[in-house]
Amino acid sequence: MLFEKIKMKKLFRNKPAFCALILISIIVITAVFAPFIATHDPSAQDLPRRLSAPSAAHLLGTDDLGRDVFSRTVYGARVSISVGFFAVLITLFIGVILGMVSGYFGGWVDSVIMRFTDIMLCFPTFFLILIVIAFFEPSIINVMVVIGITSWTGLARIVRAEVLSIREREFVLASKMLAVSKTRLLFAHILPNAVSPIIVYAAIGMSAAVLTESGLSFLGLGAQPPMSSWGQILMQGKDYIYVAWWLSLFPGIMILLTVLSFNMIGEALRDILDPKDSKI
Amino acid sequence: MKNKLIPFLFLFFAACSSGVTDKKHESPQYDGAPVYGDAFITAIASDASFLNPILASDTPSGAVNAMLFNGLLKYDENLNIACDLAESFEVSQDGLVITFRLKRNVKWHDGKPFTAKDVKFTYDILVDTNTKTPYSSSFMLVKELEIVDDYTVKAHYEQPFAPNLESWGMSIIAEHVFRGTNFNDAPANRKPVGTGPYKFESWQTDQKIVLKANPDYFEGKPYLSKYIIRIVPDSSVQFLELRNESLDSVDLTPDQWNAYDSFFKSYDKYRQATFSFTFLGFNRLRKPFDNKDFMKAVELAINKKDIIDGVLLGTGIEINGIYPPQSWAYKEIPKSEYDPKKALDILKSIGFLDIDNDGYLEYNGKPFDFTITTNQGNKQRELSAEIIQQHLKKIGINVNIRIIEFSTFINQYIAKREFDAVIIGWSTTLDPDQYSLWHSGQTAPRQYNFLSYNNPKIDKLLEQARTTFDMGKRKKMYHEIQDIMYEDPPCIFLYFPDSLSALHKRFRDVKDFPIGVGYNFIEWWTPRAEVKYSFQE
Repeated sequence: MLFEKIKMKKLFRNKPAFCALILISIIVITAVFAPFIATHDPSAQDLPRRLSAPSAAHLLGTDDLGRDVFSRTVYGARVSISVGFFAVLITLFIGVILGMVSGYFGGWVDSVIMRFTDIMLCFPTFFLILIVIAFFEPSIINVMVVIGITSWTGLARIVRAEVLSIREREFVLASKMLAVSKTRLLFAHILPNAVSPIIVYAAIGMSAAVLTESGLSFLGLGAQPPMSSWGQILMQGKDYIYVAWWLSLFPGIMILLTVLSFNMIGEALRDILDPKDSKI
Repeated sequence: MKNKLIPFLFLFFAACSSGVTDKKHESPQYDGAPVYGDAFITAIASDASFLNPILASDTPSGAVNAMLFNGLLKYDENLNIACDLAESFEVSQDGLVITFRLKRNVKWHDGKPFTAKDVKFTYDILVDTNTKTPYSSSFMLVKELEIVDDYTVKAHYEQPFAPNLESWGMSIIAEHVFRGTNFNDAPANRKPVGTGPYKFESWQTDQKIVLKANPDYFEGKPYLSKYIIRIVPDSSVQFLELRNESLDSVDLTPDQWNAYDSFFKSYDKYRQATFSFTFLGFNRLRKPFDNKDFMKAVELAINKKDIIDGVLLGTGIEINGIYPPQSWAYKEIPKSEYDPKKALDILKSIGFLDIDNDGYLEYNGKPFDFTITTNQGNKQRELSAEIIQQHLKKIGINVNIRIIEFSTFINQYIAKREFDAVIIGWSTTLDPDQYSLWHSGQTAPRQYNFLSYNNPKIDKLLEQARTTFDMGKRKKMYHEIQDIMYEDPPCIFLYFPDSLSALHKRFRDVKDFPIGVGYNFIEWWTPRAEVKYSFQE
């Protein structure tokens, strides 16, 4: 417990990571309490006031159908955060299980899983996602699932490598001698010891997922109207960049901040969780 | 994307034009005699498919082919039928025979003379069932095309066909170029030889197509030495290029049209009414879209004024019918009203009811929603769909929107009738014959009546009108069609968009004609001092 506390302290002492943590908290709170924070109904159209500049009535201006950009950005946070969260959840589920099974059992199981991982790695993820979305209807659920099932490969390899070394340790041998079941051994004994790289991967995976979702929505394959997402507002803004800068700027900043924050937290966690770093 | 230049009907992609123009700024008309030189650079949104006017059915190919080829006849600047490759023409009393006398001084780009054989060859190719052309139907009505001598041809018709002259606007291709080749993938489809004011020079796929002035053109050598078509897929990128002055002519969206004047320092803006309408159409093969009352209710629930004001920004008109005011067949029809309350009453009377009080109506006790599908790349249609979605939500109808790439949309959705509702447009001919759009016999997979509209009275009038030559009688029939369609609309008419474009100011002798700005393109020129691109001749 003391150990955890010291780690948390280190995280807070790392200024960029601390700022990132605050930013992420704000964005998550925004996403959760979107209906209370938004000043307008995000899909309410007000055509006479379309493309009006930021003002007191519309904090970040309006889009091409007169919808409030601030409210749409707030609701967009929901899409980005939930896509990031669920995509990473799926990634973790697949990556951790395949990695552990592969690392622990070794032999032909390992070969089969790792060759399959190699095959998956051959395809550029973004194009794989494009193909899958083209086959199914574009929807935000599909985006989550597809990002999840295409980005587990790196994690599976990391987990496998960790497990390979952990399974040789004495406590594993001890557990085996006590006839602990394989599932229990894997999940209760080995997994907790391999958790640091997984946490780091998850944090960085969040940022990748948010970025991928924005990219897909920018191409019109993510969130479908009238739902709003940052990538989608950005795409709208592209057509009006010469008259309505606010349409591209604010969602762009939000994507930047979110991705940057997750990356910084990931970096900081990596430093802190590094066992070679002896300074406590 | 479908063609606009050859007189047939097309599903259109963005606005295509020909009609009344309204020039915003007046550029000073100079001084001095025209000089040769300079280039004209324009942009198209996607690459051409065939530089062969028989095979091409898309707007980009059409735009290029118009510079390379000529038909026997054309529309003149005031929208009257006039001679192009024909010297004169004559229609027999009964309307069954047209005699064309051809111009004698016309040469193909490779120097060979143009003769009646080429006309006959073009006709043979058009009616050959192996040719992959969408333009055969009008020529199938020609019983025989007879070569009288080298410069005279006669077209014999089975029965009178009113739009027959218009159909001879079809571009003529050279016999000696295609003879003995497989027409559908002949090398000349990428290296065209025509009779037009510009000759083909080069084509870099997805980059640009370069044409050069034809010194032997029968109406005189064009003043501008090169005609360059660049492929710029994104309209916002085209607009940025316009601000850099790297394009001479660009189509504008309504928002770009209304952008700051300083963007257009070196450009004139042109606005033209079009013969094309955008509509919301329902698939009558599905329930409840086959119910007249359902469509009536949807129409009452949509405030079309919102679309005209909010999406087109006033650069278009609301018309409740198939003809624009500049058509001779146009009849003023009352506009549809906006009355959501009445819409709800109608819906209730045909089985829609909100049983579970969730704010959405159920149809015969089951949850109800439908999908509006439209094509990517036409912002006005996407926005219209979102406005309609919002308006229908107010009366409790749940609408989904799908936006799909144009050719997939046409081939996978429209052709297979895989849709609930679509927003799309027809770019129509100047001749009011719309037999293929609304006749109940035109509903086969690739045919144009994809909404499966079926009204026996309309069928009969369409058949009669296209075989009647008397303008007065024809006009009456088209008026009657519009009256019947008011009672039984084939679709919900949204708007007739204007075509908006910008043109660089350095060109002189640019004139506004009722048919459009580019009509006298070969007479455009740039004064020496303002030449932007120079070439060694």
